[in-house]
Amino acid sequence: MGSRVLVAEDDAAIRDSLGEILEDAGDDAVGACNGRQALEILGAPGPRPALILLDMTMPVMDGAAFRTAQRATAGRAEIPVIVFSADRDLSRIFDALHVQGVFHKPLPLAELLATIARFCRAA
Amino acid sequence: METPVNHNQLTLEQRAVLLVDSVRDYAIFFVSPQGRIESWNAGARMLKGYTAAEIVGEPVSRFYTAEDREAGLPERLLRIAAEQGRVETEGWRVRRDGSRFWADVVITALRDEKGDLQGFAKITRDRTDRKRLEEERVRRVQAEEALRLRDQFLSIASHELRTPLTALQLQLEDLRLRLAGADGKIQQRIGRALRSGERMAALIDALLDVARISTGRLTFTREPFDLGEAVGEVVERFSSAAANAGCELSLEIEPGIVGAWDRLRIEQVVVNLLSNAMKFGAGAPIRVALQRCGAGARLEVRDHGPGVPAEDLVRIFGRFERSTSERHHGGLGLGLYVTHEIVAGHGGTVEARNAPGGGALFIVQLPVEPVGADGGRKAG
Repeated sequence: MGSRVLVAEDDAAIRDSLGEILEDAGDDAVGACNGRQALEILGAPGPRPALILLDMTMPVMDGAAFRTAQRATAGRAEIPVIVFSADRDLSRIFDALHVQGVFHKPLPLAELLATIARFCRAA
Repeated sequence: METPVNHNQLTLEQRAVLLVDSVRDYAIFFVSPQGRIESWNAGARMLKGYTAAEIVGEPVSRFYTAEDREAGLPERLLRIAAEQGRVETEGWRVRRDGSRFWADVVITALRDEKGDLQGFAKITRDRTDRKRLEEERVRRVQAEEALRLRDQFLSIASHELRTPLTALQLQLEDLRLRLAGADGKIQQRIGRALRSGERMAALIDALLDVARISTGRLTFTREPFDLGEAVGEVVERFSSAAANAGCELSLEIEPGIVGAWDRLRIEQVVVNLLSNAMKFGAGAPIRVALQRCGAGARLEVRDHGPGVPAEDLVRIFGRFERSTSERHHGGLGLGLYVTHEIVAGHGGTVEARNAPGGGALFIVQLPVEPVGADGGRKAG
Protein backbone atom coordinates (compact mmCIF):
# COMPACT_ATOMS: atom_id res chain seq x y z
CA MET A 1 0.00 0.00 0.00
CA GLY A 2 1.49 3.37 -1.10
CA SER A 3 1.60 6.60 0.82
CA ARG A 4 0.33 10.04 -0.02
CA VAL A 5 3.07 12.49 -1.10
CA LEU A 6 2.49 16.23 -1.47
CA VAL A 7 4.51 17.76 -4.34
CA ALA A 8 4.77 21.57 -4.01
CA GLU A 9 6.41 22.80 -7.22
CA ASP A 10 5.40 25.69 -9.49
CA ASP A 11 6.69 24.19 -12.73
CA ALA A 12 3.99 21.92 -14.17
CA ALA A 13 6.44 19.75 -16.12
CA ILE A 14 8.46 18.93 -13.00
CA ARG A 15 5.35 18.54 -10.82
CA ASP A 16 3.67 16.19 -13.32
CA SER A 17 6.86 14.21 -13.90
CA LEU A 18 7.30 13.66 -10.18
CA GLY A 19 3.59 12.83 -9.83
CA GLU A 20 3.78 10.17 -12.55
CA ILE A 21 6.95 8.68 -11.17
CA LEU A 22 5.45 8.52 -7.64
CA GLU A 23 2.19 6.98 -8.89
CA ASP A 24 4.14 4.41 -10.88
CA ALA A 25 5.98 3.56 -7.66
CA GLY A 26 2.56 2.95 -6.10
CA ASP A 27 2.33 6.18 -4.12
CA ASP A 28 -0.50 8.71 -4.22
CA ALA A 29 0.84 12.08 -5.41
CA VAL A 30 -0.95 15.38 -4.76
CA GLY A 31 0.32 18.50 -6.54
CA ALA A 32 0.40 22.13 -5.39
CA CYS A 33 1.68 25.08 -7.49
CA ASN A 34 2.75 27.18 -4.52
CA GLY A 35 3.13 27.18 -0.76
CA ARG A 36 -0.36 28.55 -0.10
CA GLN A 37 -2.01 25.75 -2.10
CA ALA A 38 0.17 23.22 -0.32
CA LEU A 39 -1.00 24.59 3.07
CA GLU A 40 -4.64 24.34 1.91
CA ILE A 41 -4.12 20.71 0.93
CA LEU A 42 -2.56 20.02 4.33
CA GLY A 43 -5.57 21.62 6.05
CA ALA A 44 -8.21 19.77 3.98
CA PRO A 45 -9.83 16.60 5.30
CA GLY A 46 -8.53 13.31 3.96
CA PRO A 47 -5.43 11.23 4.45
CA ARG A 48 -2.43 13.11 5.80
CA PRO A 49 0.60 13.12 3.44
CA ALA A 50 3.49 10.99 4.62
CA LEU A 51 6.03 13.27 2.95
CA ILE A 52 6.26 16.70 1.34
CA LEU A 53 8.50 17.40 -1.67
CA LEU A 54 9.08 21.14 -1.63
CA ASP A 55 10.47 23.47 -4.27
CA MET A 56 12.17 26.57 -2.82
CA THR A 57 11.35 29.11 -5.54
CA MET A 58 7.59 29.43 -6.02
CA PRO A 59 5.22 32.36 -6.56
CA VAL A 60 2.61 33.47 -3.97
CA MET A 61 4.30 31.60 -1.11
CA ASP A 62 7.80 30.21 -1.48
CA GLY A 63 9.27 27.08 0.04
CA ALA A 64 10.80 28.78 3.06
CA ALA A 65 7.53 30.56 3.99
CA PHE A 66 5.58 27.32 3.54
CA ARG A 67 7.98 25.42 5.79
CA THR A 68 7.71 28.06 8.52
CA ALA A 69 3.89 27.96 8.35
CA GLN A 70 3.80 24.17 8.25
CA ARG A 71 6.00 23.86 11.34
CA ALA A 72 3.54 26.11 13.19
CA THR A 73 0.50 24.01 12.18
CA ALA A 74 -0.61 21.50 14.80
CA GLY A 75 -0.85 17.96 13.49
CA ARG A 76 1.06 18.88 10.33
CA ALA A 77 4.39 20.03 11.77
CA GLU A 78 5.90 16.54 11.95
CA ILE A 79 5.40 15.66 8.27
CA PRO A 80 8.92 15.24 6.88
CA VAL A 81 9.98 17.63 4.10
CA ILE A 82 12.48 17.15 1.29
CA VAL A 83 13.53 20.33 -0.48
CA PHE A 84 14.68 20.89 -4.07
CA SER A 85 16.75 23.88 -4.88
CA ALA A 86 18.73 25.32 -7.73
CA ASP A 87 20.95 26.81 -5.03
CA ARG A 88 24.31 25.15 -4.77
CA ASP A 89 24.70 25.85 -1.11
CA LEU A 90 22.32 23.21 0.16
CA SER A 91 23.66 22.90 3.68
CA ARG A 92 22.47 26.43 4.44
CA ILE A 93 18.90 25.53 3.40
CA PHE A 94 19.11 22.29 5.35
CA ASP A 95 20.08 24.11 8.55
CA ALA A 96 17.76 27.08 8.10
CA LEU A 97 14.57 25.11 7.39
CA HIS A 98 15.13 22.02 9.55
CA VAL A 99 14.15 19.76 6.67
CA GLN A 100 14.85 16.05 6.32
CA GLY A 101 16.64 16.19 2.97
CA VAL A 102 17.81 18.59 0.27
CA PHE A 103 18.34 17.88 -3.43
CA HIS A 104 20.04 20.05 -5.99
CA LYS A 105 18.27 20.54 -9.33
CA PRO A 106 18.47 18.72 -11.73
CA LEU A 107 17.29 15.96 -9.41
CA PRO A 108 19.15 12.66 -9.10
CA LEU A 109 16.10 10.42 -9.40
CA ALA A 110 17.48 7.19 -7.99
CA GLU A 111 18.64 8.91 -4.80
CA LEU A 112 15.40 10.88 -4.58
CA LEU A 113 13.31 7.71 -4.93
CA ALA A 114 15.39 5.97 -2.28
CA THR A 115 14.86 8.88 0.09
CA ILE A 116 11.12 9.01 -0.63
CA ALA A 117 10.87 5.26 -0.04
CA ARG A 118 12.68 5.60 3.28
CA PHE A 119 10.21 8.19 4.58
CA CYS A 120 7.05 6.71 3.05
CA ARG A 121 7.68 3.15 4.19
CA ALA A 122 8.60 4.33 7.66
CA ALA A 123 5.35 6.28 7.89
CA MET B 1 56.96 93.27 -26.03
CA GLU B 2 54.90 94.43 -23.11
CA THR B 3 55.26 97.97 -21.94
CA PRO B 4 54.78 98.78 -18.30
CA VAL B 5 51.51 100.59 -17.91
CA ASN B 6 50.94 103.50 -15.65
CA HIS B 7 47.25 103.14 -14.80
CA ASN B 8 46.95 106.64 -13.57
CA GLN B 9 47.65 108.02 -17.04
CA LEU B 10 44.98 105.84 -18.74
CA THR B 11 41.25 106.50 -19.00
CA LEU B 12 38.89 103.84 -17.70
CA GLU B 13 37.98 103.00 -21.31
CA GLN B 14 41.62 102.49 -22.29
CA ARG B 15 42.12 100.29 -19.29
CA ALA B 16 39.10 98.18 -20.24
CA VAL B 17 40.44 97.72 -23.77
CA LEU B 18 43.83 96.65 -22.40
CA LEU B 19 42.19 94.21 -20.02
CA VAL B 20 40.12 92.55 -22.74
CA ASP B 21 43.06 92.45 -25.14
CA SER B 22 45.34 90.74 -22.67
CA VAL B 23 42.90 88.09 -21.41
CA ARG B 24 44.16 84.75 -22.70
CA ASP B 25 41.77 82.15 -21.26
CA TYR B 26 38.66 83.64 -22.83
CA ALA B 27 37.94 84.66 -26.42
CA ILE B 28 36.28 88.08 -26.02
CA PHE B 29 35.11 89.99 -29.07
CA PHE B 30 32.42 92.27 -30.37
CA VAL B 31 29.92 91.29 -33.04
CA SER B 32 27.90 93.76 -35.14
CA PRO B 33 24.09 93.65 -35.10
CA GLN B 34 24.41 91.90 -38.51
CA GLY B 35 26.61 89.19 -37.00
CA ARG B 36 30.06 90.29 -38.24
CA ILE B 37 33.14 90.19 -36.04
CA GLU B 38 34.32 93.68 -35.03
CA SER B 39 37.18 93.05 -32.57
CA TRP B 40 39.57 90.27 -31.53
CA ASN B 41 41.60 89.63 -28.36
CA ALA B 42 44.59 87.46 -27.41
CA GLY B 43 42.33 84.74 -26.02
CA ALA B 44 40.31 84.60 -29.24
CA ARG B 45 43.51 84.27 -31.27
CA MET B 46 44.77 81.43 -29.06
CA LEU B 47 41.47 79.63 -28.90
CA LYS B 48 40.30 79.88 -32.49
CA GLY B 49 43.63 80.27 -34.32
CA TYR B 50 42.77 83.35 -36.42
CA THR B 51 44.65 86.65 -36.31
CA ALA B 52 42.61 89.84 -36.05
CA ALA B 53 43.48 90.70 -39.67
CA GLU B 54 42.06 87.39 -40.87
CA ILE B 55 38.79 87.41 -38.99
CA VAL B 56 37.58 90.95 -38.30
CA GLY B 57 34.71 91.66 -40.69
CA GLU B 58 33.90 87.97 -41.20
CA PRO B 59 30.51 86.51 -40.14
CA VAL B 60 30.42 84.92 -36.70
CA SER B 61 29.05 81.75 -38.33
CA ARG B 62 32.64 80.92 -39.35
CA PHE B 63 33.16 79.36 -35.90
CA TYR B 64 30.19 77.03 -36.15
CA THR B 65 30.07 73.50 -37.53
CA ALA B 66 28.48 72.96 -40.93
CA GLU B 67 25.46 71.26 -39.31
CA ASP B 68 24.90 74.13 -36.90
CA ARG B 69 25.22 76.67 -39.75
CA GLU B 70 22.66 74.76 -41.80
CA ALA B 71 20.34 74.63 -38.81
CA GLY B 72 20.65 78.42 -38.48
CA LEU B 73 22.14 78.26 -34.99
CA PRO B 74 24.44 81.35 -35.29
CA GLU B 75 21.54 83.63 -36.26
CA ARG B 76 19.20 82.03 -33.71
CA LEU B 77 21.60 82.61 -30.81
CA LEU B 78 22.07 86.29 -31.76
CA ARG B 79 18.29 86.69 -32.05
CA ILE B 80 17.74 85.19 -28.60
CA ALA B 81 20.46 87.43 -27.14
CA ALA B 82 18.84 90.45 -28.79
CA GLU B 83 15.40 89.49 -27.43
CA GLN B 84 16.38 88.39 -23.95
CA GLY B 85 19.50 90.48 -23.33
CA ARG B 86 21.85 87.52 -23.21
CA VAL B 87 22.18 83.84 -24.03
CA GLU B 88 24.40 81.13 -22.60
CA THR B 89 25.11 77.95 -24.51
CA GLU B 90 27.57 75.10 -24.96
CA GLY B 91 28.48 73.29 -28.14
CA TRP B 92 31.10 72.21 -30.62
CA ARG B 93 32.86 75.07 -32.45
CA VAL B 94 35.51 74.97 -35.18
CA ARG B 95 39.04 76.40 -35.11
CA ARG B 96 40.90 77.87 -38.06
CA ASP B 97 42.64 74.52 -38.70
CA GLY B 98 39.27 72.71 -38.78
CA SER B 99 39.67 71.03 -35.37
CA ARG B 100 36.74 71.19 -32.98
CA PHE B 101 36.54 72.32 -29.39
CA TRP B 102 33.72 72.31 -26.86
CA ALA B 103 32.79 75.93 -26.28
CA ASP B 104 31.07 77.52 -23.32
CA VAL B 105 29.58 80.69 -24.83
CA VAL B 106 27.92 83.81 -23.40
CA ILE B 107 26.48 86.34 -25.86
CA THR B 108 25.32 89.67 -24.40
CA ALA B 109 23.34 92.22 -26.40
CA LEU B 110 24.78 95.74 -26.23
CA ARG B 111 22.25 98.58 -26.40
CA ASP B 112 22.67 102.37 -26.24
CA GLU B 113 20.74 104.72 -23.93
CA LYS B 114 17.80 104.75 -26.36
CA GLY B 115 17.69 100.99 -26.34
CA ASP B 116 18.87 100.53 -29.91
CA LEU B 117 20.92 97.38 -30.55
CA GLN B 118 24.56 98.28 -31.07
CA GLY B 119 25.88 94.77 -31.37
CA PHE B 120 26.93 91.87 -29.12
CA ALA B 121 29.76 90.99 -26.79
CA LYS B 122 30.69 87.36 -27.14
CA ILE B 123 32.76 85.48 -24.55
CA THR B 124 33.85 81.95 -25.35
CA ARG B 125 35.79 79.51 -23.21
CA ASP B 126 37.33 76.17 -24.25
CA ARG B 127 35.75 73.42 -22.08
CA THR B 128 36.87 70.47 -24.23
CA ASP B 129 38.64 68.77 -21.30
CA ARG B 130 35.56 68.96 -19.11
CA LYS B 131 33.37 67.74 -21.97
CA ARG B 132 35.64 64.75 -22.57
CA LEU B 133 35.59 63.88 -18.85
CA GLU B 134 31.80 64.10 -18.85
CA GLU B 135 31.53 61.94 -21.96
CA GLU B 136 33.91 59.45 -20.38
CA ARG B 137 31.79 59.38 -17.23
CA VAL B 138 28.59 58.83 -19.24
CA ARG B 139 30.23 56.02 -21.18
CA ARG B 140 31.36 54.41 -17.94
CA VAL B 141 27.89 54.65 -16.40
CA GLN B 142 26.35 53.17 -19.56
CA ALA B 143 28.90 50.35 -19.60
CA GLU B 144 28.22 49.56 -15.94
CA GLU B 145 24.48 49.56 -16.57
CA ALA B 146 24.94 47.24 -19.55
CA LEU B 147 27.00 44.89 -17.35
CA ARG B 148 24.38 44.97 -14.62
CA LEU B 149 21.59 44.18 -17.11
CA ARG B 150 23.62 41.36 -18.59
CA ASP B 151 24.28 39.80 -15.18
CA GLN B 152 20.62 40.14 -14.27
CA PHE B 153 19.74 38.45 -17.56
CA LEU B 154 22.26 35.66 -16.93
CA SER B 155 20.78 35.05 -13.50
CA ILE B 156 17.19 34.90 -14.76
CA ALA B 157 18.10 32.90 -17.87
CA SER B 158 20.02 30.27 -15.94
CA HIS B 159 17.14 29.77 -13.50
CA GLU B 160 14.65 29.54 -16.35
CA LEU B 161 16.82 27.13 -18.34
CA ARG B 162 17.26 24.85 -15.37
CA THR B 163 13.54 24.28 -14.83
CA PRO B 164 12.69 22.42 -18.09
CA LEU B 165 16.04 20.65 -17.84
CA THR B 166 15.01 19.28 -14.45
CA ALA B 167 11.79 17.86 -15.93
CA LEU B 168 13.72 16.38 -18.87
CA GLN B 169 16.28 14.75 -16.58
CA LEU B 170 13.54 13.31 -14.37
CA GLN B 171 11.85 11.67 -17.35
CA LEU B 172 15.13 10.30 -18.69
CA GLU B 173 16.22 8.97 -15.31
CA ASP B 174 12.82 7.33 -14.88
CA LEU B 175 13.20 5.70 -18.29
CA ARG B 176 16.65 4.45 -17.39
CA LEU B 177 15.43 2.92 -14.13
CA ARG B 178 12.48 1.23 -15.84
CA LEU B 179 14.58 -0.06 -18.72
CA ALA B 180 17.31 -1.37 -16.44
CA GLY B 181 16.75 -4.83 -17.89
CA ALA B 182 16.39 -3.70 -21.52
CA ASP B 183 18.95 -4.23 -24.24
CA GLY B 184 22.31 -2.51 -24.00
CA LYS B 185 21.77 -0.18 -26.94
CA ILE B 186 18.76 1.52 -25.39
CA GLN B 187 20.59 1.81 -22.08
CA GLN B 188 23.51 3.39 -23.91
CA ARG B 189 21.31 5.92 -25.66
CA ILE B 190 19.53 6.97 -22.51
CA GLY B 191 22.90 7.27 -20.83
CA ARG B 192 24.10 9.52 -23.62
CA ALA B 193 20.99 11.71 -23.39
CA LEU B 194 21.46 11.97 -19.62
CA ARG B 195 25.10 12.97 -19.99
CA SER B 196 24.12 15.69 -22.47
CA GLY B 197 21.63 16.94 -19.91
CA GLU B 198 24.34 16.92 -17.25
CA ARG B 199 26.63 18.93 -19.51
CA MET B 200 23.88 21.44 -20.08
CA ALA B 201 23.29 21.65 -16.33
CA ALA B 202 27.01 22.31 -15.80
CA LEU B 203 26.99 25.09 -18.40
CA ILE B 204 23.94 26.67 -16.77
CA ASP B 205 25.68 26.44 -13.39
CA ALA B 206 28.70 28.24 -14.84
CA LEU B 207 26.49 31.05 -16.19
CA LEU B 208 24.82 31.38 -12.82
CA ASP B 209 28.22 31.49 -11.11
CA VAL B 210 29.34 34.31 -13.39
CA ALA B 211 26.22 36.27 -12.52
CA ARG B 212 26.86 35.59 -8.82
CA ILE B 213 30.50 36.63 -9.03
CA SER B 214 29.81 39.93 -10.74
CA THR B 215 27.01 40.85 -8.35
CA GLY B 216 29.15 39.83 -5.37
CA ARG B 217 26.85 36.97 -4.42
CA LEU B 218 29.44 34.20 -4.69
CA THR B 219 29.87 33.26 -1.04
CA PHE B 220 31.84 30.49 0.58
CA THR B 221 30.72 28.15 3.34
CA ARG B 222 33.88 26.94 4.98
CA GLU B 223 34.01 23.64 6.78
CA PRO B 224 37.04 21.60 7.79
CA PHE B 225 37.97 18.70 5.51
CA ASP B 226 40.93 16.77 4.18
CA LEU B 227 41.95 18.39 0.90
CA GLY B 228 43.65 15.26 -0.42
CA GLU B 229 40.48 13.20 0.12
CA ALA B 230 38.38 15.74 -1.76
CA VAL B 231 40.85 15.92 -4.67
CA GLY B 232 41.03 12.12 -4.75
CA GLU B 233 37.23 11.82 -4.89
CA VAL B 234 36.98 14.17 -7.86
CA VAL B 235 39.76 12.33 -9.70
CA GLU B 236 37.92 9.08 -8.97
CA ARG B 237 34.69 10.53 -10.44
CA PHE B 238 36.63 11.41 -13.59
CA SER B 239 38.15 7.96 -14.07
CA SER B 240 35.70 6.71 -16.72
CA ALA B 241 35.57 10.06 -18.56
CA ALA B 242 39.39 10.10 -18.57
CA ALA B 243 39.50 6.57 -19.93
CA ASN B 244 37.09 7.61 -22.70
CA ALA B 245 39.33 10.58 -23.53
CA GLY B 246 42.36 8.28 -23.63
CA CYS B 247 43.97 10.06 -20.67
CA GLU B 248 45.82 8.08 -18.09
CA LEU B 249 45.18 9.85 -14.77
CA SER B 250 47.93 9.76 -12.17
CA LEU B 251 47.50 11.08 -8.66
CA GLU B 252 50.11 12.05 -6.08
CA ILE B 253 48.68 13.27 -2.82
CA GLU B 254 50.39 14.28 0.38
CA PRO B 255 47.97 13.08 3.06
CA GLY B 256 46.71 15.00 6.06
CA ILE B 257 46.32 18.51 4.60
CA VAL B 258 43.28 19.56 6.60
CA GLY B 259 41.85 23.05 6.60
CA ALA B 260 38.61 25.02 6.32
CA TRP B 261 37.47 25.71 2.76
CA ASP B 262 34.20 25.57 0.85
CA ARG B 263 34.29 21.92 -0.11
CA LEU B 264 31.87 22.07 -3.06
CA ARG B 265 33.68 25.06 -4.52
CA ILE B 266 37.15 23.52 -4.10
CA GLU B 267 35.86 20.36 -5.77
CA GLN B 268 34.58 22.58 -8.57
CA VAL B 269 38.12 23.96 -9.01
CA VAL B 270 39.48 20.42 -9.42
CA VAL B 271 36.62 19.53 -11.79
CA ASN B 272 37.28 22.61 -13.94
CA LEU B 273 41.02 22.03 -14.14
CA LEU B 274 40.57 18.32 -14.93
CA SER B 275 37.90 19.02 -17.58
CA ASN B 276 40.23 21.57 -19.10
CA ALA B 277 43.16 19.14 -19.10
CA MET B 278 41.03 16.43 -20.73
CA LYS B 279 39.70 18.84 -23.34
CA PHE B 280 43.15 19.97 -24.48
CA GLY B 281 45.27 16.99 -23.58
CA ALA B 282 43.06 14.18 -24.89
CA GLY B 283 44.95 11.00 -25.61
CA ALA B 284 47.85 11.81 -23.27
CA PRO B 285 48.51 11.35 -19.53
CA ILE B 286 47.30 13.86 -16.93
CA ARG B 287 49.03 14.22 -13.59
CA VAL B 288 47.33 15.62 -10.49
CA ALA B 289 49.55 16.40 -7.50
CA LEU B 290 48.81 17.89 -4.10
CA GLN B 291 51.44 18.80 -1.54
CA ARG B 292 52.15 21.16 1.31
CA CYS B 293 53.91 24.31 0.26
CA GLY B 294 55.04 26.54 3.11
CA ALA B 295 51.96 27.34 5.20
CA GLY B 296 49.65 26.47 2.32
CA ALA B 297 48.73 23.73 -0.12
CA ARG B 298 49.79 23.47 -3.74
CA LEU B 299 47.68 21.65 -6.30
CA GLU B 300 49.08 20.96 -9.75
CA VAL B 301 47.22 19.68 -12.80
CA ARG B 302 49.49 18.96 -15.72
CA ASP B 303 48.42 17.79 -19.17
CA HIS B 304 50.38 16.92 -22.31
CA GLY B 305 48.27 18.96 -24.72
CA PRO B 306 49.49 21.82 -26.92
CA GLY B 307 50.07 24.13 -23.93
CA VAL B 308 48.90 27.75 -23.68
CA PRO B 309 50.28 30.49 -25.98
CA ALA B 310 52.50 32.78 -23.89
CA GLU B 311 50.29 35.83 -24.54
CA ASP B 312 47.23 33.97 -23.14
CA LEU B 313 48.71 32.66 -19.88
CA VAL B 314 47.07 35.41 -17.82
CA ARG B 315 44.16 36.29 -20.09
CA ILE B 316 42.56 32.82 -19.93
CA PHE B 317 41.46 33.50 -16.34
CA GLY B 318 39.35 36.47 -17.49
CA ARG B 319 35.62 36.35 -18.01
CA PHE B 320 34.48 34.88 -21.36
CA GLU B 321 38.16 34.66 -22.37
CA ARG B 322 39.67 31.75 -24.17
CA SER B 323 43.08 31.06 -25.51
CA THR B 324 43.39 31.92 -29.21
CA SER B 325 44.21 28.30 -29.94
CA GLU B 326 41.05 27.32 -28.12
CA ARG B 327 38.37 28.68 -30.46
CA HIS B 328 37.65 25.36 -32.12
CA HIS B 329 37.21 23.64 -28.75
CA GLY B 330 33.93 25.37 -27.96
CA GLY B 331 32.65 26.04 -24.47
CA LEU B 332 31.75 29.34 -22.91
CA GLY B 333 35.20 30.13 -21.62
CA LEU B 334 33.88 30.39 -18.06
CA GLY B 335 35.55 27.47 -16.28
CA LEU B 336 38.92 29.10 -15.64
CA TYR B 337 37.31 32.42 -14.73
CA VAL B 338 35.11 30.73 -12.11
CA THR B 339 38.16 28.74 -10.94
CA HIS B 340 40.14 31.95 -10.51
CA GLU B 341 37.31 33.61 -8.56
CA ILE B 342 36.87 30.62 -6.24
CA VAL B 343 40.59 30.37 -5.52
CA ALA B 344 40.93 34.15 -5.03
CA GLY B 345 37.87 34.06 -2.73
CA HIS B 346 39.80 31.61 -0.54
CA GLY B 347 42.82 33.92 -0.49
CA GLY B 348 44.77 31.78 -2.94
CA THR B 349 46.24 32.10 -6.43
CA VAL B 350 45.97 30.13 -9.65
CA GLU B 351 48.37 30.38 -12.55
CA ALA B 352 48.98 28.69 -15.86
CA ARG B 353 52.43 27.75 -17.15
CA ASN B 354 53.81 25.80 -20.03
CA ALA B 355 55.48 22.75 -18.59
CA PRO B 356 59.01 21.90 -19.68
CA GLY B 357 58.61 19.08 -22.17
CA GLY B 358 55.22 20.33 -23.40
CA GLY B 359 51.68 20.58 -22.06
CA ALA B 360 49.99 23.02 -19.73
CA LEU B 361 50.62 23.13 -15.99
CA PHE B 362 48.00 24.77 -13.76
CA ILE B 363 49.11 25.58 -10.23
CA VAL B 364 46.67 26.44 -7.42
CA GLN B 365 48.10 27.75 -4.16
CA LEU B 366 45.64 27.73 -1.28
CA PRO B 367 46.21 29.02 2.22
CA VAL B 368 45.47 26.34 4.82
CA GLU B 369 43.13 27.82 7.40
CA PRO B 370 43.99 26.31 10.78
CA VAL B 371 41.23 24.13 12.18
CA GLY B 372 40.41 24.55 15.87
CA ALA B 373 40.32 21.71 18.40
CA ASP B 374 36.51 21.62 18.16
CA GLY B 375 36.86 20.82 14.47
CA GLY B 376 35.51 24.20 13.51
CA ARG B 377 37.29 27.08 11.91
CA LYS B 378 39.49 29.05 14.25
CA ALA B 379 38.30 32.58 14.76
CA GLY B 380 40.40 35.43 13.40
